[in-house]
Amino acid sequence: MIITVGEIVRGDAAVFPPYLYEAYRSTIRRAPRLPLVEVPLTASELTRPRLEVGHVTAEDADLTRNADTGGEALGQRIIVTGRVMDEDGLPVPGALLEVWQANAAGRYIHKRDDWPGPLDPNFLGIGRCLTNAGGEYRFLTVRPGAYPWANHENAWRPAHIHFSVLAPSWSQRLVTQMYFPDDPLLALDPIFNAVPEGARSRLIAAYAHDVTEPLWALGWRWDIVLAGPGATAFEAREQSAA
Amino acid sequence: MTPSQTVGPFFHDCLLRDDRCESIAGIDAGVRIHVEGRVIDGDGAGVPDAVIELWQAAGFTRISTDAEGRFSFSTARPTRVAFEGGTMQAPHLSLAIFARGLMNHLFTRIYFADEPSTDTDPILRRVPEARRTTLLARREPEGSLTPQYWFDIVLQGEGETVFFDFKSPVP
Repeated sequence: MIITVGEIVRGDAAVFPPYLYEAYRSTIRRAPRLPLVEVPLTASELTRPRLEVGHVTAEDADLTRNADTGGEALGQRIIVTGRVMDEDGLPVPGALLEVWQANAAGRYIHKRDDWPGPLDPNFLGIGRCLTNAGGEYRFLTVRPGAYPWANHENAWRPAHIHFSVLAPSWSQRLVTQMYFPDDPLLALDPIFNAVPEGARSRLIAAYAHDVTEPLWALGWRWDIVLAGPGATAFEAREQSAA
Repeated sequence: MTPSQTVGPFFHDCLLRDDRCESIAGIDAGVRIHVEGRVIDGDGAGVPDAVIELWQAAGFTRISTDAEGRFSFSTARPTRVAFEGGTMQAPHLSLAIFARGLMNHLFTRIYFADEPSTDTDPILRRVPEARRTTLLARREPEGSLTPQYWFDIVLQGEGETVFFDFKSPVP
């Protein structure tokens, strides 16, 4: 019998995708087959190293202009904003968010993306920012297009933005993707559907008219919730124990 | 919680641009060690599009594998880290591995085969004995000034590396 969905999951199995999800073919030879070893979190995972995030500028969060060509990226201008929180709903300030995405035509600048979608000389598709004291982030970009991939016959990825979140605690590390609602490709996408059904909506941004700026850009809101407990809680407990 | 998704194949320009990586690299001071290895899939083939992040008290490092799945990095030799009840963990490096086809990153640790306290490490002792060796970096015998270690990361199959699922903190 062919196993289509593996049982090995890191974290809450109601939220996180299994490593083996055969409909996404690249998982077949890369998913671990032996059980993960459960161990307690220790100071190694909960203590922040001397991480120095230097030179993050406001321009880094403006993907419409940060190609530094003097020109502006083509496409529907969008603002993507939200809060990074821990499991208790507390904001996570100082988290480094790094994003990458296809351009409005669905093409990445990456050298291995070679489908005949047009490149935009004014769009790199990469950005980053730090969350503020309230855990908030904000990017200005263009809405990405869908792009074709080789996973199966006539496969297209739904429009998405890749997010990497580097939080103060190592155990909170997260790399994920943000999608848009009402995308007909979501139902056909094995990467999105590898997430347990009840948690899939957490990857979809909500249109936010209060974020939309008149005569400028459409607003989308997407919050990110990291696994807890955060480094802040750990430090507080250490202090109270001392 | 927000579910994870694969890093995909197109992360290099964002996650590995030299100027950006250097700016988050941290201080990473101390006696240097050099670690080399390969990321290997279930067919025994090198994984050419993996990202490895390395986290320890001295700093943070992010590297990618090359076309053959090889990686190498230099970092400060780690020191012992506190555990519960005044006991200590053996020196180790914490690793996260990301790749196309990995729906969630994998957490593992590098321990050092030539470090005496490795045998008594409380985390390593929770690993089935037959699999502990997958977490040990081997000292290469050459007499270089910078100690050289070898550590393969086997995602699947024979010699599969131990990957961790961290649960609640030590009470």
